[in-house]
Amino acid sequence: MSTKPFNAFAMAQAQFDKVAETLGLDQGTKDLLRNPMREYHFSLPVRMDDGTTKVFQGYRVQHNDARGPAKGGIRFHPQETADTVRALSMWMTWKCAVAELPLGGGKGGVICEPHNLSMAEQERICRAFVRQIARDVGPLRDVPAPDVMTSGQHMLWMLDEYEQIRGGHYPGVITGKPVGMGGSLGRTEATGYGVVFTVREALKELGVRPHDTIAAVQGFGNVAQYAIELYNQLGGAVVAVSCWDQEDQQPYTFRKNDGIDLAELRKITDRFGGINKQKAAELGYEQLPGEAWIEQDVDILFPCALENSITADNVSKISKRVKLIAEGANGPTTPDADHVLHERGVFVIPDFLANAGGVTCSYLEQVQSNMNYFWEKDEVLGKLDVMMTSAFIGVSDMARKRKLYMRDAAYTIAIARVAQACKDRGWV
Amino acid sequence: MTEQNDRVTDILRSLQERAKELNCLYRIEEIINAEDLTLDDVFRGVIDAIPPGWQYPDICVARIQFGDQGFAFGDFRETEWMQEAIIRVYGEPVGALEVAYLEQMPQADEGPFLKEERKLLETIAERIGSCITHRRLLETMQSMQESEHTSRRAGREWSAILDLLRRTDQSLLMRVSRKMINHLCWSGVKAARRLLQDFRPHQTSDEPEVFFESNQPRGKDMPPSATALADRVFELAGEHLSDDEIISCVHNWIKQDRASFLVNTLENYHTAISEVSDAIQRYQHAGHGEVELSPSTRKGLLVSLVRRFLSDQLEYINVAKRYVEIADFHQLIQRLIYPAHGHGKTGGKGAGLFLACQIVQRHRDENELLAEIKTPKTWYLTSDGMHDFVYCNHLEDVFSQKYKEIDEVRQEYPDIVQVFKNSQFSATIVKGLSLALDDLGDKPLIVRSSSLLEDRFGAAFSGKYKSLFLANRGTKQERMDALMDAIAEVYASTFGPDPIQYRTERNLVDFQEGMGVLIQEVVGTQIGDYFLPAFAGVAFSHNEFRWSPRIKQEDGLARLVPGLGTRAVDRLGDDFPILVSPGQPGLRANATPEEVVRYAPRYMDVINLNTNKFETVDVAEFLRQVGDQMPAVEQLVSVYADGNLRQPLLGSVDFERDDPVVTFEGLLNRTPFVKQIGALLNLLERELSHPADIEFASDGKDLYLLQCRAQAPAKHAKPAPIPRDIAYSRLLFSATRYVSNGTTPNITHVVYVDPEKYGQLGSREELISVGRAVGKLNKLLPKRQFILMGPGRWGSRGDIKLGVPVTYSDINNTAMLIEIARKTGDYTPDVSFGTHFFQDLVEAEIRYLPLYPDEDGIAFNEAFFTRSPNLLAELAPEFESLGDTIRVIDVPRSADGQVLYVLMNADLDEAVAVLTDPAGQAEHDDASGQAVATTDGQDWRWRTRMAESVAARLDRKRFGVKALYLFGSTKNATAGPASDIDLLVHFVGTDQQRHALEQWFEGWSLSLSEINYLRTGYRTESLLDVHIVTDEDIANRTSYAVKIGAITDAARELLLGNSTPPAK
Repeated sequence: MSTKPFNAFAMAQAQFDKVAETLGLDQGTKDLLRNPMREYHFSLPVRMDDGTTKVFQGYRVQHNDARGPAKGGIRFHPQETADTVRALSMWMTWKCAVAELPLGGGKGGVICEPHNLSMAEQERICRAFVRQIARDVGPLRDVPAPDVMTSGQHMLWMLDEYEQIRGGHYPGVITGKPVGMGGSLGRTEATGYGVVFTVREALKELGVRPHDTIAAVQGFGNVAQYAIELYNQLGGAVVAVSCWDQEDQQPYTFRKNDGIDLAELRKITDRFGGINKQKAAELGYEQLPGEAWIEQDVDILFPCALENSITADNVSKISKRVKLIAEGANGPTTPDADHVLHERGVFVIPDFLANAGGVTCSYLEQVQSNMNYFWEKDEVLGKLDVMMTSAFIGVSDMARKRKLYMRDAAYTIAIARVAQACKDRGWV
Repeated sequence: MTEQNDRVTDILRSLQERAKELNCLYRIEEIINAEDLTLDDVFRGVIDAIPPGWQYPDICVARIQFGDQGFAFGDFRETEWMQEAIIRVYGEPVGALEVAYLEQMPQADEGPFLKEERKLLETIAERIGSCITHRRLLETMQSMQESEHTSRRAGREWSAILDLLRRTDQSLLMRVSRKMINHLCWSGVKAARRLLQDFRPHQTSDEPEVFFESNQPRGKDMPPSATALADRVFELAGEHLSDDEIISCVHNWIKQDRASFLVNTLENYHTAISEVSDAIQRYQHAGHGEVELSPSTRKGLLVSLVRRFLSDQLEYINVAKRYVEIADFHQLIQRLIYPAHGHGKTGGKGAGLFLACQIVQRHRDENELLAEIKTPKTWYLTSDGMHDFVYCNHLEDVFSQKYKEIDEVRQEYPDIVQVFKNSQFSATIVKGLSLALDDLGDKPLIVRSSSLLEDRFGAAFSGKYKSLFLANRGTKQERMDALMDAIAEVYASTFGPDPIQYRTERNLVDFQEGMGVLIQEVVGTQIGDYFLPAFAGVAFSHNEFRWSPRIKQEDGLARLVPGLGTRAVDRLGDDFPILVSPGQPGLRANATPEEVVRYAPRYMDVINLNTNKFETVDVAEFLRQVGDQMPAVEQLVSVYADGNLRQPLLGSVDFERDDPVVTFEGLLNRTPFVKQIGALLNLLERELSHPADIEFASDGKDLYLLQCRAQAPAKHAKPAPIPRDIAYSRLLFSATRYVSNGTTPNITHVVYVDPEKYGQLGSREELISVGRAVGKLNKLLPKRQFILMGPGRWGSRGDIKLGVPVTYSDINNTAMLIEIARKTGDYTPDVSFGTHFFQDLVEAEIRYLPLYPDEDGIAFNEAFFTRSPNLLAELAPEFESLGDTIRVIDVPRSADGQVLYVLMNADLDEAVAVLTDPAGQAEHDDASGQAVATTDGQDWRWRTRMAESVAARLDRKRFGVKALYLFGSTKNATAGPASDIDLLVHFVGTDQQRHALEQWFEGWSLSLSEINYLRTGYRTESLLDVHIVTDEDIANRTSYAVKIGAITDAARELLLGNSTPPAK
């Protein structure tokens, strides 16, 4: 066991170094990309409800903006550190690049615990944050978004403060805004649909028709439900979904061998994707243990719920029939399990490609905001389809050409694109 | 036919007579109340009015003899056919009222007179008496006022008053004189003492102590004649006091004397409520203002009234006497139902609510928000109503129910309920209930138990007895039936197994139970078929569940729910009320929209007016259907869309399409509700000198106070006494920051995640696997008997380096969640207060405590945690590699059989974890000395005994059994009333034997399950959980076989019946 403590930034750098080696990047490019280009650290004096003043520490890191304005969330977290923000901003650079978005990567945060703050105090933190960073963010420079413990409400306060300072309307300075206040339609569907756009393309490559496939899904939240919706439209049938049972504090898998009926299940599902087990039984669903989704004899697995769901322990339970795994969740596969899947030749669409629908939709929100003209949902989803398809093809071409595992191909192409942009600009 | 006609004629005649009598009485009342008439005129008028009221007016004459005067109607003469009633003033006869017939008439009840006429005559005589009293006092008063005006000029005018009294009312004169003697004595006038002694010949000044020491009865003082006493007393007064002082004393005493009848009634313990009630009515109707009473008399009166109607608890009386007025009792008795000759009280809930209302009333000027607080219309049925009910139906046997064995009590209870429901209420109570229903109308009602025990022992008794909701729909008779049915059920609940068991455990079984009943209108409105308040809840002036270090204990806590408040009162486990701390309303337990939605109330309780039932409905479904009709709905819900929560404007929610979530944001942010509740809690805590606990509800317009009592901590949430003399070796840690109240007893295992080692883990996978290991241990270790200790923030979703990544289901069996904040350099990391699952912790009563081991004066026995044997590898071999980081400690094994107690005291802001002998637990259980939770012990002992019986009767040869083991909760002495008995059979027989053995166990299991039900009321399908293992299993250490000879928590072998083991 290593005695060196876990450090997210060190880990992100190590990951980069590995890929940089395979790409043969020169030292200058490596030095540029393994560290953020710009960092802002500032103190935020905030008047508290009781009249006292408390000073909070805020950060904004712009890792790289060679491909376009930096993009990334603002987190409110009591244990925020500069290293965490650095690591996350670097990951944003790669994420935008793999999705072929004309955006760079950034991240911000404030060390604070929202559970100890009133909404009024949080509003004052948001406004103080913007007062510090207003000169260095903007629709053409750096576009923040909601993240851990920040919501659309925080974004609107920040937007308002920015516009007060700039004396004009700049809805494109921030994304994640509510619909009607500069938000985009299609946001709810974007991630789930995005997963299936990539699945559709992957099936084409595998030479399998979607309506000849069946699938099992982990989770029945937003991502899973929209993924199932689109997958059904393509002709595929989902035979099992797992979900968390709040009452029993454990997950269950619900199975129907001739395919679940999405509309029917949605009616008996709560806001958090919890399926009512009594009603499911009445509708003829078989109730199995939570882990059972992974053992189903299906063609496709959609892990759309939790981190570390596919592990060294259960990877062997995956049916031989499974050809494709689409990672709708963040980090659903542990490295040991990933290794096994790679060896077995299962086609894995890695998380940061499969679930890039979310960030792509943020980009589309920014575009609409910048022209102050908002599209119908179909138009948003149509553009999403085009962009996701193109992103998938980029990665899979790279994988095929360089005989790479999809996950490695995705990293490689992302870093290569950013490196190329830096070179083209003459930075390195 | 004629016979029937005669009967009809009889009835008619009788009715006519009653009508005449009534008319007569009305006429006389009119005359008596006409203040402009002289007394002579009044007498003449009365005499005139009497004959028409009698059966034969034409030959009826009447006469009043008063003093030396006689007033007569017509040519009054004494005949053979006369009746007479004495006229009394202050109990003394002053005259007579006579009625005579001039001719002989047919024989009736009393000569020719009817018994109704006798009653009428007595009533008229009494009215004349009070009229005389009233006028005399009026005269006295007037002359006194006149003399006051002239006193300065005329010197001893008070003597004129005395003259007047001497002539008109000698008994009053005597009372005034006695008071004057006392007044003079107290003023230090020696002569007065001598004067007093003159009138008390048996006591001399030389031997005053004899009075206290002698065993002989004292001789009775002979009262001297009134005039003689008065003359001597006032002569003395004239010498020692100023004229003004004498006048003012006499003036006051005469005034006070007018309320004496009320004092007399109250001081007599034998007077029934009805008499007290009459006296209060009379006092009130006579228009006495309380200002006329001396402060001491007034206080005495109020205390008597409080004791009579509300409570004899000294703490209660002490507060109540400052807040109640006699007029309040007048209002109370308007809505009081009591049995004839009753002596009962309103019971705890009734008394609590009454007092709280008075406190709020008196402070309404202080804060306009308080002025807006209302109380629902409430009728009170006194506590002896239950005894009346029991005696009325000859159910006395039920009182001995509590001395029966608990299984008998449980078995008989359903029948008691039926018997009660089929019994009758006495006519007085029925009449009272009928009046109550007329007054309350057809609004739904809640029938609340209001027990005397609740009054005495606080909230501990709340919820033990029934409270029932009634839709109160239908005809008057149907509503009456439903009401009486509900009251009978509340009465029956006194004899239910749970309260009896609870009382037995606390040595309260001999307390004579009295059950008052509150009949209260339910606050709310009708929406569709349902009736419900817009919202309701409970609030506490002390916050025992703080989710942020910025919230202090005195900031209070409110638990809010939509609909009826039942869901806020109880901990639900799977549904959540909205929490708000009135002192810190901006700090919410849930910060992000996801958390707010996750912990929003999902169900609500309502009354279904169609089915007349209390129901729980799905909030989302309800709002979809009738959200538009819900009053003030925009204050109750936020609209959830795309991960954001929006507070809606008036009428802007589309209930068919939007996704409304109950958040109460509008109520909390845009209305004065929080301030109102805060002001109410502060006021009540201040005035009751004790933290307060209230229930409230709102119909969307007004806030109603439903209940108020002293805040008593829940079980295991009492402030624990912190022992000061703990040997260092027994102390595992101490804490002095953000401590809540409570005791976490009997901890047998500690899961310790070493903060330093955790911080050194090199990869994200390792950090995550720590979370998974904890989740696994959570399922393996005995529920609520282990504690989790770890770095920083449990359940951190951000940087998992600083807190073990777990979800609620990974920790839901722990007794306690401890966050350790170790100093790194100059920096001490934050702790989370369990924010990620705060509400889960609250509802599951899992305690939370942060530790700061590096602060001065803090004990932290790191060696115990890092050097005790680690069971991780044995319990969860797959996580063996994390053995440095995660340490699982079997406390009894590492501490010579001792277990761990964590004692927390929020008032001192101190907590300690001490090692204690399991037997020594009682010393920490309960500060008040009442043993708590002794049932736990009974349950495992009984189970052990039963397991041993089963073993003793098990025929090894017949069933091919080599050995029988006991494990699990029974073996570990932690079994509760719902636990099963885990048995492990080492089996070496044939399939046939195995089948027979299984059947044999099944029979036992069913029987034991039935017995357990009778003992405890817990239904389990089977009580034995039998696991059969073979030699092979034992060799391979598969499944339960590992329990045999295990390192930790090994199964215990039971002694089998016939000793030779079967041959293999």
